[in-house]
Amino acid sequence: MNKIVGFLTFLLFAANNLFAAESGMPQLDPTYWASQVFWLAIIFSSIYILIAKIFIPKIKGNIDAREDKIRKDIEEANLLKEEADKKLKEYNVLIEEAKLSAKKILLDSRKKLNEDIQTKKEQVEKEIQKEIKNAEKEIQKLKINSSSKVNLISEEIVSNIIKDIFGEDLNKSSIKATVSEITKGYKN
Amino acid sequence: MAANPMHQFNVHKIGPEIKIGGIDLSFTNASLFMLFSAALILIFLLFGTKEKKIVPSKIQLISEMLYNFVAKMISDTAGKKAKPYFSFIFSLFIFILFCNMIGMLPYSFTVTSHIIVTLAFAVFIFVGVTILGFVIHGFKYLKIFVPSGVPAVLLPIIMVIEIISYLSRPISLSVRLFANMMAGHTMLKVFGGFVISLGLVAGWLPLTFSIALTGLEILVAFLQAYVFAILTCIYLNDALNLHH
Repeated sequence: MNKIVGFLTFLLFAANNLFAAESGMPQLDPTYWASQVFWLAIIFSSIYILIAKIFIPKIKGNIDAREDKIRKDIEEANLLKEEADKKLKEYNVLIEEAKLSAKKILLDSRKKLNEDIQTKKEQVEKEIQKEIKNAEKEIQKLKINSSSKVNLISEEIVSNIIKDIFGEDLNKSSIKATVSEITKGYKN
Repeated sequence: MAANPMHQFNVHKIGPEIKIGGIDLSFTNASLFMLFSAALILIFLLFGTKEKKIVPSKIQLISEMLYNFVAKMISDTAGKKAKPYFSFIFSLFIFILFCNMIGMLPYSFTVTSHIIVTLAFAVFIFVGVTILGFVIHGFKYLKIFVPSGVPAVLLPIIMVIEIISYLSRPISLSVRLFANMMAGHTMLKVFGGFVISLGLVAGWLPLTFSIALTGLEILVAFLQAYVFAILTCIYLNDALNLHH
């Protein structure tokens, strides 16, 4: 809209009187055209040189420096992260190893303990068996001894009783035979 | 103050008359406002690049945004080959932008509202781009007038059209900027005059319109600088990467 209006005004004025600044457009008065182009060339080329030689390199350097810094920081962070991951892996491996060795130690000691217990048990059982056997033997001995002693005592008692009742001694061998016969009956 | 809305475009000399070889090169108000724009640009860039901070200050951020804006504009339209011309496009954009924006201040002079200024830019760009095209591609640069994939019957007509459109580039480029600036400022002046002549009773309507128009003109000032720069990039692209 703006453009069209502007262009139309331009055309209108241009068609009417091309070089009449007073009544139309001052833009079409050529008095200062050379001056305008001259000063434009000087001013624009000087700011172009200043911008190209000083300001653009400065801005670009600054932007590049920032991007560089960011990239380096990210790289460093990634490196650190990798290192941390590595350390974590190492730590995990160590933990795994420690766990395994602990398990092994546990198993070993359990096995050893079991074995120890087994051997001790066996020893003790053997000893107990031995003791039992000894005891049995002794008991057997005692049994035999006691029965013979009982027999002796019985014989004495019998001979004493007979002596007290009858006033005379009886044949000792016959008493013995009788007592052993009676005790036999008790034994079984 | 003259009521003539074209009065604002008058050029008058400031200081002594400078004549070299019979040509009047006197310092004028146009030159003064060019100098203002240039000074403002230099001050802005000086403060924008004074500190080199990783986290930029506001003015540094603006200068870097401007840099990135122009860099993106060039890489989008002309590609990587246009990198040596970055400074020129940057200077062109920022100079036209500052001239347009300074022109928006009341009682100021709009440098870019003069056809001779925009024409000087446009002719310089046109001649530069054409020389560049011939230097890079030799006579193959004439291929720019022969689009590929056009039927042989249509080729002569198309070629004529292409040549005309190529030759009219400096005119369209310069008139676009000049006419936009002139029309905008004339309209602002006309509506400003209405506010005065209609007075307190009915002056409010043109005043609101004038305010709205000022906003539009600021947009146009930026947009025309952008359009001028981007068209330069496109012409540059034609010369650098010949694929029509």
